[in-house]
Amino acid sequence: MTGDSPSKTGRLAEWFDRRLGLSYPLLRPVPAYAINPFYWLGALAVVAFLIQGITGVIMMLYYLPSPTAAYASTEYIFDRVYYGRFLETVHLYTAYAMIMLAFMHMMRDYFVSAHKKPREVMWIVGMVMGFVTLGFGFTGYLLPWTVVSKSATDVGVGMIDALPAGFSSFVSFLVVGAGGDAAELLRFYDLHVVVLPAVLLALLTVKLYMLEVHGISEPTGSERAAGQIAIFPDVTIYLMELAAIFGTTVLLISMLFPLSLPAPYTPALAAQSIPQPDWYFLWIYQILKISIFEGPGLPVALSAVTLIFILLILLPFIDRGASRAIPERPIFVTLGLVFIGEIIMLALWGLMTPGQIIPLGQAVLVLGGTALVIGVISLLAFRLSARRPETVGSPKITGGKLNAFVMTAAFAIVVSTGGLAIGSCLSSFVYIILNGEDLVSVATLGVALSALAVTIIASIFLLYISERTTGRLRRRLTLFERIVRSWN
Amino acid sequence: MELNKLLLCLFLCLQGISTIVLWSLSSTDVASQAKFTIFLAVDLLCFAMVAYSYRKLSWGLLINPAWILVGSFGLVVLFLSAIFFS
Repeated sequence: MTGDSPSKTGRLAEWFDRRLGLSYPLLRPVPAYAINPFYWLGALAVVAFLIQGITGVIMMLYYLPSPTAAYASTEYIFDRVYYGRFLETVHLYTAYAMIMLAFMHMMRDYFVSAHKKPREVMWIVGMVMGFVTLGFGFTGYLLPWTVVSKSATDVGVGMIDALPAGFSSFVSFLVVGAGGDAAELLRFYDLHVVVLPAVLLALLTVKLYMLEVHGISEPTGSERAAGQIAIFPDVTIYLMELAAIFGTTVLLISMLFPLSLPAPYTPALAAQSIPQPDWYFLWIYQILKISIFEGPGLPVALSAVTLIFILLILLPFIDRGASRAIPERPIFVTLGLVFIGEIIMLALWGLMTPGQIIPLGQAVLVLGGTALVIGVISLLAFRLSARRPETVGSPKITGGKLNAFVMTAAFAIVVSTGGLAIGSCLSSFVYIILNGEDLVSVATLGVALSALAVTIIASIFLLYISERTTGRLRRRLTLFERIVRSWN
Repeated sequence: MELNKLLLCLFLCLQGISTIVLWSLSSTDVASQAKFTIFLAVDLLCFAMVAYSYRKLSWGLLINPAWILVGSFGLVVLFLSAIFFS
């Protein structure tokens, strides 16, 4: 056999390639700058969805969607089915990962302006996919029929009555059906295993098609690369690498925090338990617990949450500025940071105060304080890190070159941590004043104060570097030196 | 280059061993399912490292030893966890 003739493996690969078209350019090549995990958050969410599909189909073989059998069948999967506990745990954690990845994908697209022209419709489709993902969480939570899941779902379903009349009856028909536990569970099951996956797959197809049309969004900085990388095999190998790391992480978390099944639902147990949703709905739950939104104020709270979602969907038509670079979008980047800070703050707060009504003053103090701190520090950071043209005669700075993106990212992390620390401090402080001190609240206050101190020091350090690089500190020191000399 | 190939072989061997071990476990008791999770994680981590090394070599780039060290540390932690669960 000569060196030019293909080997047996090569011929086999060629045979498959001719029939399956594996190496044919079905998808457009990917720019070299996209070999970065942040460009593939959506793809990882799809990987999580696929894992959920596989584990979910296996569980479907054993699960019975009726109030009398749902818990028993879940328990059966847990204890008797081969690797049943593993399947349930992985299904749950990939669901959490999918929601988290979808949120990170949305925020990353927001910060790098991937929602701007010509990708407005992609953003809207992505947002709807995000809501479908939350729908998976909401419908799947009820299926084990535990006291925790049923109580929380009842609270969620109860809110349907607060919607406008016509819309309320439509949603009620969609979610609860003819009424009663059996109809409700069956509806949730159908939505979870048939309707939502079908809708998500259809939306995914549309989004992938638009991705093919518009391509991956360009980087906002100057790090554009001319090279193109073929989707197969190069990008495919990279994606498999990312998927394997993602899978390892999910498995590690599954090993460290294995799932345990809560008590089954009975009306007596439900009356004793405090309903609390899963973590991804905690922020909405905490908004609804603010005293002003109790009772007749509920429609106002629901309208406020709906307004947030509508604003997110319509974002491409609100944020229409030509610039895509982070340093040139201080207002929208600050709003994004405030949004993330508030969501985390509300979720943590909701976790710490299950079932407690939050006084309006406390809510204003904590949420307003968090927004104010994040907003002020972020805008200040933008102001100070902005480059200014060197004036004639100003001293030349010989220090390192300011990387605006790295500085902005560092500021974003410091600002977010600082905002959370301030919020935690205020929350713990108010809790101690209202309920007296206990070990947990004092420890929380201590940790929050320490975090605040660290972020203050980090902020000063970053501001110093920013000042030094832009040269204003040096000019001020020179001016100060001149003044002192003139006194002498 | 030879060291890279040796590393690839080592990770492939580890992947093979963990695959054999994970299918030999009892499939219903709690401890075995925890070990199954660990060995599947070992399997995936080895695969990620093989894919990373292959991608870098096929693109004519250098393998970053820091990633190999991090991955190897992860493997050690996973094997120690497996011992803990047994």
